[in-house]
Amino acid sequence: MSRGSGGGYDRHITIFSPEGRLYQVEYAFKAVKSSGITSIGVRGKDSVCVVTQKKVPDKLLDQTSVAHLFPITKFLGLLATGITADARTLVQQARNEAAEYRHKYGYEMPVDVLARWIADKSQVYTQHAYMRPLGVVAMILAIDEEKGPQLFKCDPAGHFFGHKATSAGVKEQEAINFLEKKMKNDPAFSYDETVQTAISALQSVLQEDFKANEIEVGIVSKENPVFRILTTEEIDEHLTAISERD
Amino acid sequence: MGDSQYSFSLTTFSPSGKLVQIEHALTAVGSGQTSLGIKASNGVVIATEKKLPSILVDEASVQKIQILTPNIGVVYSGMGPDSRVLVRKSRKQAEQYHRLYKEPIPVTQLVRETAAVMQEFTQSGGVRPFGVSLLVAGYDDKGPQLYQVDPSGSYFSWKASAMGKNVSNAKTFLEKRYTDDMELDDAVHTAILTLKEGFEGQISGKNIEIGIISADKKFRVLTPSEIEDYLQEVE
Repeated sequence: MSRGSGGGYDRHITIFSPEGRLYQVEYAFKAVKSSGITSIGVRGKDSVCVVTQKKVPDKLLDQTSVAHLFPITKFLGLLATGITADARTLVQQARNEAAEYRHKYGYEMPVDVLARWIADKSQVYTQHAYMRPLGVVAMILAIDEEKGPQLFKCDPAGHFFGHKATSAGVKEQEAINFLEKKMKNDPAFSYDETVQTAISALQSVLQEDFKANEIEVGIVSKENPVFRILTTEEIDEHLTAISERD
Repeated sequence: MGDSQYSFSLTTFSPSGKLVQIEHALTAVGSGQTSLGIKASNGVVIATEKKLPSILVDEASVQKIQILTPNIGVVYSGMGPDSRVLVRKSRKQAEQYHRLYKEPIPVTQLVRETAAVMQEFTQSGGVRPFGVSLLVAGYDDKGPQLYQVDPSGSYFSWKASAMGKNVSNAKTFLEKRYTDDMELDDAVHTAILTLKEGFEGQISGKNIEIGIISADKKFRVLTPSEIEDYLQEVE
């Protein structure tokens, strides 16, 4: 019938379409891809590594201000893929939430709790008309006291899962296919293997070799659970190791 | 609820008297993964498929069947994020009841309050209905109970029910197999066989979830190895 589609508003706000879908959420996923970058995260035996492209569109831009990797607390890192402005909002709120948690409960906010909090907030935006979903996929990494290295991914629909490896952005599906093959037999990657798997996955999927200042790499490891962004020298070491290996 | 700009309901009547947003929500449920519940004479079992988007997902981080109170569990079909909201609200309502009456909440009361929340979201301003149907399984003084709650907020007590993708085949299968004097173990076997009917791929302890509650009034989710044992018995 003519009014079946909700007056055509099912594409403008998050109400159901006749097929039971939420178009606004699906468009939010497309917005994540519109950023033009791909990100990859890999969880090893006692470390987690996330890698993303660092595209600086204008030579006049200050490179250091182009960032997708954000420390949320000393031990929790967040890699945001998608609309930069939405990412900054999310990071700001996550930092606030993690700090309040630490203050209120006396211990650091665990990864899965933060992932759930982000996902629940994203769900609210998919159900209430007054706020649109954020165009960001967030990958969160940390070493959990009880469960060891953890990598979570939260999307605009409000889903969140723990991952052994995952990807987001333009070449998300190709990267996941690549990673599925690598992780098929549940390998327990060492720290170096974790980082190099992540970087070489990105290189393979985008079919280009990177220079150290074209990617951002973030890591946490059991021996040093502080979330750290690698320097260009350290990235160079890994890139060299990868090219020598092949 | 919602911003003042949206203080009008998004779910409104169509000329033929239907609430189309609720119908679309039911369609969303119908495209979700199959889940089912069976009430036995001495307990209740609920089960669901647990198909994850990739082998890279850590299946230990995902649990679809949730505990609402020590003697009430719930499973959903439809949109996972929406179900989390309902689980959270239901748990809070159960706690508030307990604080007030110093008694565990009866299953019917909890179901009624959860259903009321779902109905609110079909009438309040600026929100859409929940895209989930819930199967609530509990055991209290009135014995084992199984309720299904739909996005509209209507709920019914069932002897056995199914929701999600394979609902019609599953319900036909259950109608044939259900007997009033079934015991919990038989019910678990029947639940597994029903899931197996529409299952794509190889069924295992890792891609289905089963929750049971028996006369001990303690709801628990079976471990993957316990599910494997049941699967072998069914073979």
